[in-house]
Amino acid sequence: MTPAPFAQTPFAETVAATNYSFLRGASHPAEMVLRAHALGMAGIGIADRNSVAGVVRAHVAWKDLAGIGDFRLIVGARLVFADDTPDIIAYPTTRAGWGRLTRLLTLGNRRTTKGDCELRLGDLLTHAEGLALIAMAGDAGLLASLREASPHLWLGATMPRGGHDARRLAQTVALGAAARVPLIATNDAAYASPADRPLHDVLTCIRNGTNIHAAGRILAPNAERHLKPPTEMARLFAAAPEAIAATRDVFDAIHFTLDDLRYEYPHEPVPDGWTPQAWLEHLVEQGGLARFPAGLPLAYRATLAEEFRLIRDRGYAPYFLTVHDIVHYARSLNPPILCQGRGSAANSLVCYFLGVTPIDPVEQKLLFSRFLSDARDEPPDIDVDFEHERREEVIQYIYARYGRERAGIAAAVTRYRQRSAIREVGKALGLTEDVTARLSGTVWGSWGGKGELPEQRLAEAGFEPANPEIARLRDMVGRLLDFPRHLSQHVGGFVLTHSRLDELVPIHNAAMEDRTFIEWDKDDIDALGLMKVDVLALGMLTTIRKSFDLMRGVGLADLTLATVPREDPATYAMLRRADSIGTFQVESRAQIAMLPRMKPACLYDLVIQVAIVRPGPIQGGMVHPYLRRRNGEEKVEFPGPPDAPDELRDVLGKTLGVPLFQEQAMKLAMVAAHFTPAEADGLRRAMATFRRNGTIHHYQTKLVEGMVGRGYERDFAERCFEQIKGFGDYGFPESHAQAFAWLAYVSSWLKCHMPAVFTCALLNSQPMGFYATAQLVADARAHGVEVRPIDAAASLWDNSLEGERVLRLGLRQITGFREEWAGMLVTARADRAFASIEDLARRADLPPRAMALLADADACAALGPNRREAGWEMRRLPPKQLSLFAAMEAPELGAEADAALPPMRPAEEVVADYQTYRLSLKGHPLQFLRGALAQRGVLTCAQVNAAKDGARVRCAGVVLVRQRPGKGNAVFITLEDETGIVNALLWARDFETQRAAVMSARLMVIEGQVQHSKEGVVHLMAQRVVDRTAWLARLDGAADAPAPLPNRARHPRDARILPQSRDFH
Amino acid sequence: MAPAPFALVARSGNALRLAAVDAAAQRQGLTVGMALADARARCPALVSQPQDPAAAPRALQALAARMQRFTPMVALDPPDGLMLDITGCAHLCGTEAELAAQAMVEAGYTARHAFADHAAAARALVRYGSAEQDVRALPVMAVELPTDALSGLRRAGLVTLGDLARRPMAGLAARFGEDMVGRLRAILGEAGSPIAPRNAPAPIRAEARFAEPIARTEDVLAAIEGLLHDAARQMEARQIGGRRFAVMLGRCDGMRLRLGVETGLPLRAPAPVMRLLQERIDSLADPLDPGFGFDRIALAVPRTEPLAARQIALTGDAHAHTDTSCVAALIDRLTTRLGAGNVLRLHPRDTHIPEASQHFAPASQGPPTVWPASSLLRPTFLLDPPQPITALAGVPDGPPQRFRWQGQLHEVTRAEGPERIAPEWWHDPVGHHSPGGLTRDYYRVEDAGGQRFWVFRHGLFDERADPKWYLHGLFV
Repeated sequence: MTPAPFAQTPFAETVAATNYSFLRGASHPAEMVLRAHALGMAGIGIADRNSVAGVVRAHVAWKDLAGIGDFRLIVGARLVFADDTPDIIAYPTTRAGWGRLTRLLTLGNRRTTKGDCELRLGDLLTHAEGLALIAMAGDAGLLASLREASPHLWLGATMPRGGHDARRLAQTVALGAAARVPLIATNDAAYASPADRPLHDVLTCIRNGTNIHAAGRILAPNAERHLKPPTEMARLFAAAPEAIAATRDVFDAIHFTLDDLRYEYPHEPVPDGWTPQAWLEHLVEQGGLARFPAGLPLAYRATLAEEFRLIRDRGYAPYFLTVHDIVHYARSLNPPILCQGRGSAANSLVCYFLGVTPIDPVEQKLLFSRFLSDARDEPPDIDVDFEHERREEVIQYIYARYGRERAGIAAAVTRYRQRSAIREVGKALGLTEDVTARLSGTVWGSWGGKGELPEQRLAEAGFEPANPEIARLRDMVGRLLDFPRHLSQHVGGFVLTHSRLDELVPIHNAAMEDRTFIEWDKDDIDALGLMKVDVLALGMLTTIRKSFDLMRGVGLADLTLATVPREDPATYAMLRRADSIGTFQVESRAQIAMLPRMKPACLYDLVIQVAIVRPGPIQGGMVHPYLRRRNGEEKVEFPGPPDAPDELRDVLGKTLGVPLFQEQAMKLAMVAAHFTPAEADGLRRAMATFRRNGTIHHYQTKLVEGMVGRGYERDFAERCFEQIKGFGDYGFPESHAQAFAWLAYVSSWLKCHMPAVFTCALLNSQPMGFYATAQLVADARAHGVEVRPIDAAASLWDNSLEGERVLRLGLRQITGFREEWAGMLVTARADRAFASIEDLARRADLPPRAMALLADADACAALGPNRREAGWEMRRLPPKQLSLFAAMEAPELGAEADAALPPMRPAEEVVADYQTYRLSLKGHPLQFLRGALAQRGVLTCAQVNAAKDGARVRCAGVVLVRQRPGKGNAVFITLEDETGIVNALLWARDFETQRAAVMSARLMVIEGQVQHSKEGVVHLMAQRVVDRTAWLARLDGAADAPAPLPNRARHPRDARILPQSRDFH
Repeated sequence: MAPAPFALVARSGNALRLAAVDAAAQRQGLTVGMALADARARCPALVSQPQDPAAAPRALQALAARMQRFTPMVALDPPDGLMLDITGCAHLCGTEAELAAQAMVEAGYTARHAFADHAAAARALVRYGSAEQDVRALPVMAVELPTDALSGLRRAGLVTLGDLARRPMAGLAARFGEDMVGRLRAILGEAGSPIAPRNAPAPIRAEARFAEPIARTEDVLAAIEGLLHDAARQMEARQIGGRRFAVMLGRCDGMRLRLGVETGLPLRAPAPVMRLLQERIDSLADPLDPGFGFDRIALAVPRTEPLAARQIALTGDAHAHTDTSCVAALIDRLTTRLGAGNVLRLHPRDTHIPEASQHFAPASQGPPTVWPASSLLRPTFLLDPPQPITALAGVPDGPPQRFRWQGQLHEVTRAEGPERIAPEWWHDPVGHHSPGGLTRDYYRVEDAGGQRFWVFRHGLFDERADPKWYLHGLFV
């Protein structure tokens, strides 16, 4: 690193906190770095409170500045002690010093529960070698002991404008002189500019659990703790100019940057006597032989040779071996865990032959080099999906194999999102919870998106946007968004190292027992080029495995992921009918709308289908051109400059000239705008993460102007850029699409040929997928599956098959029922069938709550009493039977006169079904309101679907799904009644005026116009939406108690269409 | 113009909710339990006041007392009901309906009423039905069960009290408890539901009558002291002390003189009260005029507060006081003599803004607050408002070198500062983007004569090109 031109700007801030000093720093790391640079400082030192969580972001921001000047960045931590030691800033001067700092922080972290760090002075003294220290206060004794521990020691001096700055400075000067410790000038910055003071005050309030009106003097008296220009610092420290000059000495003492974190891969998977590369090639060739017993075809040989060369050049062999090792382990278990790889490196033949992925890249013409370009100086990325219920076994294996010193889970940075920001800022500003709840609650906030609260939403919530309190709230929320709140563990991103992990990054205790995680998240790990393996959980893999098990169990078939019959016409025919409820990826409203238009006929169509209904392509306006071309309504053309008109054919040929995959967009930037591979990757990076760097416009101009300059149409160029922007947020590389498409196919095949099996497995893997149990069951019944009710005499915990097309609902469907109770019940039943409820109660020895749930779910019908009588009976059972009576098997309760309860009306039955297990086999709530609805001219869903194109209709149903995909210019609503479902679409402009009704109704009446698409898809184009939720309460006779509104944004599958019964809560 | 909708609000958890609404508010769709913010959003004109949780029970007690003119048997039915046993009383007003009409007028509140043969039935009818309804048609809610039990009843298909009444009571008791059956039977009139008539505590009073009227002030005071001893015994038995003492002197010509004193802390001991009365008598514009003498002196303690019995000092000095009670006694005497608004105490307020960091409150209102420790040197008293001065100071934030105050020039010889205090942006009426106020730089300065001042520059150099200066306090 060249020395900075300190001569002109003789000051650099060495004590700057970022918002990774949670609720203390009020600016993002990048903002601090950029501001320091803009102020003409010679450098900046980032030191957060007992943490280095933010330094990678600062580092990235700094590297983006590289080439602009000699501005330097040093990174370290502000050590805050649990004893009375004043704060000390520590900067590693060397790589070894970094290791000691991270070990020191790890020591403090591991002593306490999650989130804290308990350090004592003694800890620092034993870890101080290689650390440059700045004591923010202290006495001669402290300075003497620090001096002994490290040769690089300064005494920090500040001028906080606190009334007696000069006097304090003089004291500090005297103290430094006496202890022979040089002074260093700092402003102890907590934010970038004075305008950040209100946000800093709000953070202080949040941290102290108070509000701005009550906070008083815990708030800073002024806005002085910003980064101050060197001239201003020089003026403030006119009495001690040596303190300004000393900032140069700090920077001179430090030779460490985060780029020094050299990374070595673990060597475990390589047997003795082999090099990693040789062992990898050996394994891959074995895998190749297994697939091509007659020898590899030429194309495969060439691809393999190229991949081997790239992997050898970059030294990535251990990485592939590690992934292989993990996958191999999962498959070696009995029963094996289903798993499948995806990610940028998963296109490789190496991965295919290692068995990590099911996709043959040569057959699918996937290009390997595009992800492992020489320019992309980062390890390959392979995510592996495992069955969601068994991923923990894999995680434990990794810990066991690599040890906790070398394997750690990446952090997940929990950030302020709209809802949390509104809640906490509102509280800090002294607004009541009602105000904030109204703004952030389901009704108002769930579809928000990013950025400031729209004024309109404020008005709808009943607030005047011009009201100063509300304006403040709005502005502060906008500023607080994206601030990190705390660190927790990532779901499955593992970092593996060759040497001690805690010398690379501090380690924290996680909330889960026996879990630790490192302080950096996936983006940080990426930016530093560390190796990570994503061990992800995928519910559909669980469903597929359970389907295979069930099929094997009843002797239907014996299949594996690899042996499911391929390219089955019946399966594609089913998908073309948009009959895809329950399948993987192609089941959402938007996907269902697309299926009849895409008309998939082969696996690659599914790959496109999976990739096309994504925000990226939708925002980029790529969907319709693709469809038109596919349907032959538009000529397949490849835009190109005059000198190379066909240059995009290679890039976009597979997708008919429309860029749909992330790789295509990147490749397009390289081919059409002559981006270097590094620039293309920088572009992706600028979009995906570290968004606040503001570098995006740089790329936009470069791409668009580059393309236009080469002769492309500006419109096309702009659309390309728009799409790349979309990819940033929701990137979907082709290999992901390939991997997902295969699972989509397998699940569709199962649904098509084994509907009972598939539904059963799906229900047993809940929660997952898009639809609620009721819809899955209804769909199965529509496909000829007989669904039998929950029955204490027949049901198991899981849903089970009682025949090829007969599904018995299991006890797990009852909300609140426990697996352990089911076990007791089934065990007791194994001897002999229950004779009566009392027999059941005695022999299964279930707690009263379990019995009450059984009765309430109408699961005792087979034992005699109807639901109402059973529930009445259950309420009477004593909490625990006396053992004496139990031993005598004598009825403990005396005979009782018949209560002669009124019979349960069918509507009440259905409501009780929904309340206890969220579906009913007896009917649909709407059928009991049909009379009232018909009087108002409301049609059934079936009638609407049969209505003529353009007919104006009124339709009612319970709301299954509300979705606002993509750019959000339309809202999809799915209504259900006893005859089926209607898909309604509401344009955003109409939505805004009736947001309350749309967002909060459980029962909705929609007026609108029927629209038939060319493909025969019927939509109800909604114009007016009326909330009729109160009618649902009539069903069980509780007319005066309105059904409570759903009070939280939920996944559609978790939304209750009827409020839960409160009997047992 | 119709009065603005009005509501009382109470904090529940973290939120302010409506605790009571008036008719106008009700017409706007506001209901009890609604969040204040929601209510405001619906009805911006809503006027709200914090609810005094003690007020409603107090008012109910008072109303009960007034209802005793209809029957001696008045019971409270909290939180907002009264139960009148009018057996044998109705004819005094004519009919039952006429009694009710009169009672409603007497009450002065918007109220509902119901007649029944039993208290429980009346309660159920008035709260869950209408006056004429048969109790059997009331919803099961009238038995006042917890939510889960209520939904248990609903699940069983039992909707009205009649549905319950037709079922075997033993079965209900086994499921919902004996209490529920008891309440049900009471409502149905099958079990007694006696009311517990209110028994208001007797006021603290003492009275002396004189066959021979007394006229000498000493005699009057001695008589009052005797009454105070009497009252003290009554209060001691009830563990209360008086905050207000009222003396009525009845002259034999029928004229009545009244004297009253209030104390900051509850008192029982006669001596301090006597001192206060003495002060009061001394401060009267025209002294006690006994005329032909007083034949009756009465003492009442209309305002009392709990006061535990106190250990008498072991020295045997029954009049030993702690420091607090000495000061309190002084404050009481001063307040009695000068008026509550003239005896003030300074209380700290937690803010950086100097003039807002303390405030006055009548000393008799309560004990002093603890002042936070501060290292900042501030004058004890601030000039209000700060006095404008003209000052010459270094740019951008140097201390004043000289300044002129009230025409007099002060050469600054020593200065310390600045202490920079930024405005409280959250008070800014137009958001916090506008400056909304100016930052102040405070300096402690000493002039050539050794006088010390606290001055400030109003506005940082970059907030205002030509900042004004003010003198905010003097160090003495």
